[in-house]
Amino acid sequence: MTLHIVSKSPYGCNALTECLATFAEGDVLLLIEDGVYALTDHKWEAAPAGSVYCLRADAEARGIAIPEKVEGIDDTRWVELCTRHNPIVSWYK
Amino acid sequence: MKFALAVHSAPHTSQSAASALRFARALLAQGHELYRVFFYCDGVHNGSVLAAPPQDEADLVGEWQALQQAHGLDLVVCIAAAQRRGVLSESEAGRLEKSAANLAPGFELAGLGQLADAIANADRLVTFGG
Repeated sequence: MTLHIVSKSPYGCNALTECLATFAEGDVLLLIEDGVYALTDHKWEAAPAGSVYCLRADAEARGIAIPEKVEGIDDTRWVELCTRHNPIVSWYK
Repeated sequence: MKFALAVHSAPHTSQSAASALRFARALLAQGHELYRVFFYCDGVHNGSVLAAPPQDEADLVGEWQALQQAHGLDLVVCIAAAQRRGVLSESEAGRLEKSAANLAPGFELAGLGQLADAIANADRLVTFGG
């Protein structure tokens, strides 16, 4: 059950698309940094319901509203997510 | 739980290096162990003591040093990546006949074996890149 961390905007690279192509049952997606720009598009909706998280501070810093189906989390919850999932795969290219 | 972090990005290039520091602080605050932080590729610039950001910007090098002092962290800079980018310890500067050294106190130079060791011994590896 992998935790996928996407940190780049889907408008600038294919990180999110490639990540979603590898998504397996039980995996979750965390959007951080410019990765939160994905919330202004619909690609993330390909992930199963309840499996998408974003760093609330990074979304707020960019003025991006967090959709109802996405859980905005703080750094403490980020660490908790990492303890519950293994491996942790970072997508940034 | 034991965490290891791999930092591939330089300060000020993107948010990534700052995210790594933020994550390190959060996991330590929750009582987890930070087994090692391995600075690789452009991440070696996190270990340059010569970085002098403006006062109203984050000083990532200084903040890593403070965290290292507070928690006795193992901050390892990849020696091969560092040589290419001009991040040298006193001994490396001497060996390579360079006129100055800039590896920040609290950081040490070592090989990729230290990353492999961290992956083998930590419960989780989190990579910060781009």
